[in-house]
Amino acid sequence: MWRMMRSEWIKIRRSVIWLLVLVSPLIAALFGLFAANKEGDFPWIEALSLMSVLHAMLFLPLLTGVYASLLCRYEHAGGGWKSMLASPVSRTQVYVVKFILVMLMLAVTQLLLFAALLLVGFAHGFNGPIPWRELTTSFAGGWVACLPLAALQLFASVALQSFAAPLAINVVLTLPNILVANSARFGPYDPWTQPMLAMLPRTQGQDYGAFNISMETLLIVVLGSFCLFFAAGWTYFAKKAV
Amino acid sequence: MASDTILETKDLTKRLGGKKVVDGVNLAIGRGDIYGFLGPNGAGKTTTIRMLLGLAKPTDGSIRVFGKDIRKERIAILRKVGSLVEYPSYYGHLTAVENLEAIRRLLGVPKARIDEVLSIVRLTKDANRAVKGFSLGMKQRLGIATALLGDPELLVLDEPTNGLDPAGIQEIRELIKSLPGKSGVTILISSHLLSEVEQMATRVGIISKGKLIYEDSIQRLRDQAKGRIRLSVSEPEAAWRTLLSHGHSVGWENGVLTASQTDNRTVAGIVAQLVKADYEVYRVEEESASLESIFLEMTGTEGSL
Ligand SMILES: Nc1ncnc2c1ncn2[C@@H]1O[C@H](COP(=O)(O)OP(=O)(O)OP(=O)(O)O)[C@@H](O)[C@H]1O
Ligand SMILES: [Mg+2]
Repeated sequence: MWRMMRSEWIKIRRSVIWLLVLVSPLIAALFGLFAANKEGDFPWIEALSLMSVLHAMLFLPLLTGVYASLLCRYEHAGGGWKSMLASPVSRTQVYVVKFILVMLMLAVTQLLLFAALLLVGFAHGFNGPIPWRELTTSFAGGWVACLPLAALQLFASVALQSFAAPLAINVVLTLPNILVANSARFGPYDPWTQPMLAMLPRTQGQDYGAFNISMETLLIVVLGSFCLFFAAGWTYFAKKAV
Repeated sequence: MASDTILETKDLTKRLGGKKVVDGVNLAIGRGDIYGFLGPNGAGKTTTIRMLLGLAKPTDGSIRVFGKDIRKERIAILRKVGSLVEYPSYYGHLTAVENLEAIRRLLGVPKARIDEVLSIVRLTKDANRAVKGFSLGMKQRLGIATALLGDPELLVLDEPTNGLDPAGIQEIRELIKSLPGKSGVTILISSHLLSEVEQMATRVGIISKGKLIYEDSIQRLRDQAKGRIRLSVSEPEAAWRTLLSHGHSVGWENGVLTASQTDNRTVAGIVAQLVKADYEVYRVEEESASLESIFLEMTGTEGSL
């Protein structure tokens, strides 16, 4: 496993992927710098809402797909699957390592956004202590909520030779977020909405739509769909002829 | 099977799109063989090789490499196998060294091996260039370097001279010929041209439309290519009967006698007999069949380039 990770590192070390990691945190930082309300009672939480809404609704789900596609693209393009699977490694290892990498890239993205939020806070001189607990829950929750998306996108990226096709699937599944999130009926059950539900702070004013769904439901939907998607992708990859 | 059989398939079959693309193939490759796996385009070479490497699953039949079943001990087998399948695999955004390093980390061989294989395929000069700027021949050589990286006991090369110019082909040929002597490696090399493997192969297997139609030493194939002797004589039909009655196996077609046994004694015997029986012998000619024409005859000319 570790050998595989070290091998993958060579391949992504000088990849465009690192530029993409910066996109969402930079945009969020701009939002924060220019639009944050310094005077509120909970400036940190409000800044979190402001900076993470676009990120959690659009960028995070979309980036999940982009990372998965990028991590498979160089394997499809140059016949990398062939040389990797003709090496003494198990297919399960290959698949799991790719999945771990998608999640690692997402973790880096979340950490950078977290850092951006802290910088914005310091720049504005927010008063009050930093609510570490809430912030950590938000960023970690958004990350965990990406598990099923990453699993499905990795499945699509492994199965489809083309770089764009899995991304198209991703966009089609992500765009309805804008509507679904506000729906109490569908919101809780749509995996693509979960990052937003998990990341956005639940303040008093927001008990409409799906936002007031319990943590348990979120976890069941997230873990349930993750297991389903991951098992499907992994089974496919284990049998795939290359 | 001899204990020194490195690779053995039994009734290997692969069905693709409702068609048996590989059909009941029984291969046997011994230690130290350079096995030429021949067949016209679409014969099923690549499909067979994929199955040998565990890249695709057989529909039927079994594969044993180093005496181990590929279904059960794939990883242990692949540790000692180097391969190049159809096109060389590479990561375009990485340099040749980084490409090799990515695979080296999977194999766990010493780092020094990278320089060694690069110098074997003569890419040392271009080691630090991005591979996307490589010519096809350079990529091909990088592919061979990758195959050699793990110091394999069995080297599987699927059309390794694909897309190379004559000089490149010659170079790869010399390289492959030099390998078994150096490291005792066994090589399976596929090609759609007999002439390409003829000079290095010790054994050949010929596959056509999914079926292995010939498997023997290259020497036996050469013997078949020996050709025959044609004799023009006066009164050929009567001469033919006379020869037959004296126990010579000769044929008679279009007014010419033909003998497929071409050693000196047989030919001398036939001529002596003819002269003794007062036939006039006008010409004694050798008609040689090339290996390639035998190959074409076996595989059927259509589909061969
Ligand atoms: N995925 C597939 N589905 C259906 N048929 C396939 C598939 N892959 C290969 N084939 C068919 O299998 C046959 C054998 O293909 P294969 O690539 O093994 O031939 P080959 O001997 O390697 O030929 P070449 O010399 O052109 O490389 C061909 O007729 C091809 O059309
Ligand atoms: Mg082929």
